[in-house]
Amino acid sequence: MSASNDKPRIGEELGKMHAEPLLPIEKKLIAWSLILGIVLLVVLIWTGNASMPFGKG
Amino acid sequence: MAQHASTEDRSVPAPRTRGWSEDWLAVVAGAAVFVLALGLLFGSNLLGWVTGPRTWLEIGKSVRPVSSAYAQVDALLLLLVTYAFVLALMTAAAALLGMSIPKFIAGFTLLYWLSYLSWVLGNYAYIAVTTPAEMQRLGLGWSLRLTGEFGYVLALLIGLAIANLLPTAARWLAEAARAELFIKTAIVILGGTVGVKAAEQLGLASSIMWRGLAAIIEAYLIYWAVVYFVARKWFGFSREWAAPLASGISICGVSAAIATAGAIRARPIVAVMVSSLVVVFAMVELLILPFAARSFLGEEPLVAAAWMGLAVKTDGAAVASGAITEALLYGDAAAHGVKYSAGWLVGTTTTIKIFIDIFIGVWAFILAYVWTRHIEPRRPGDSLRIGEIWERFPKFVLGFAATFLIVLVIGLGSSADSLRTVNAAMDQANVLRQLFFVLTFFSIGLQSDLRLLWQEGIARLAAVYVVSLFGFVIWVGLLISWLFFSGIKPPIAG
Repeated sequence: MSASNDKPRIGEELGKMHAEPLLPIEKKLIAWSLILGIVLLVVLIWTGNASMPFGKG
Repeated sequence: MAQHASTEDRSVPAPRTRGWSEDWLAVVAGAAVFVLALGLLFGSNLLGWVTGPRTWLEIGKSVRPVSSAYAQVDALLLLLVTYAFVLALMTAAAALLGMSIPKFIAGFTLLYWLSYLSWVLGNYAYIAVTTPAEMQRLGLGWSLRLTGEFGYVLALLIGLAIANLLPTAARWLAEAARAELFIKTAIVILGGTVGVKAAEQLGLASSIMWRGLAAIIEAYLIYWAVVYFVARKWFGFSREWAAPLASGISICGVSAAIATAGAIRARPIVAVMVSSLVVVFAMVELLILPFAARSFLGEEPLVAAAWMGLAVKTDGAAVASGAITEALLYGDAAAHGVKYSAGWLVGTTTTIKIFIDIFIGVWAFILAYVWTRHIEPRRPGDSLRIGEIWERFPKFVLGFAATFLIVLVIGLGSSADSLRTVNAAMDQANVLRQLFFVLTFFSIGLQSDLRLLWQEGIARLAAVYVVSLFGFVIWVGLLISWLFFSGIKPPIAG
């Protein structure tokens, strides 16, 4: 991989990183993703078991 | 505040929209194999000469053609014909990608024969035999019971050894080691195999696909959010690093990391570093997870298959993990007298991985929207385009869908006899699919530069990966696979 060519730069690049506090929009993105994900998983489990029980032993 | 991300001239470019990409070339190469295999439906045995290994005790009897119609032809000649066919396909692809043809042919030839040799060695009877009946037939007192797919692992280990011990040879082979092209070609061919399985067991196949939808939700909405939070809050990464890292660990490895870096206008070094790390960790997962699944998911083969699709990153490593998991679990089941129908586990892993891949473009678009509207507006003229979704869409998925649907439609309209012919046709294509698998394994090993882990500054990046992958992604993937797939068994071979 070409990564080895970047050897001297990775440490430098990460070292240059400044602290960036989480913005409200990022918190919102994280929270809504998790909420939507969990709700959709529950819906999928429920509808899957109700309408497609095939193969369940 | 990540101002560097707005330095347009240094950001990851959008994917090419003109010319040939590896995705489209995989579609063409896979379709060529698929069409030749379908010749059997019209009475033409166009692919029967393809030669692969069989379980052997004498090296002279280690390979045979897929069709008995070619059994009288010299195996060495057929080996060379098989090599020439694959070489022609891949050289055409290399030419269309603008690569140096002589260099590619030289590298590919070495890569091909080392991979093929690994495949043959993995089928040595003392390594591969799994059932007492076969041990008796071959007069064996013992066997490692690792199945012929151990050849894949051998290929991976040889590639890994070359990458890390013989860097000059690795550089020489690098141009020919097109893991993405090989695995995507294999996936297009695999579509036909999955299609014939679906035609035989439509209810089970539909059920697996429905449950596969959970993978999309899990990867994009749950994994991504948690990994992004961990990278930002616990490890103090900037948004420019955290977003591609979250996509690389959560979604689909390299392509997702690159797509995300492009969407948020991160610099190329971010995508390169995250992608390199993804390749190394995917290789580690590939060596660990199938064997872990063997030790505690032997009774739940489809949970194990789904787990590989959800936990192992990069298409190549994920689908390869599915293949090894199938070999190990089917081998153990066969040792206990249960013979499952082949292809269901690797088909399930592939379906889940493909479902995840499909939405990379959509996810990149959503992130680009959030970034441009709320985090760092783009420069005038650098507007967000809906067309970026299509540009980032993994086109090889279309090849998989096409071969799947063609075989499904043919299979559903066929009599039992015709369905057997369709099955035989896909079995022929399947030998080449396995050959592309072994080439993928070798290439993954060759691309896994473990020295990366010793680079200054990498520890912090790797720490996010280790914490997220081994502390969260793997276990949540296992839980969700269990919730959706437990109790479902592959059909028994008829």
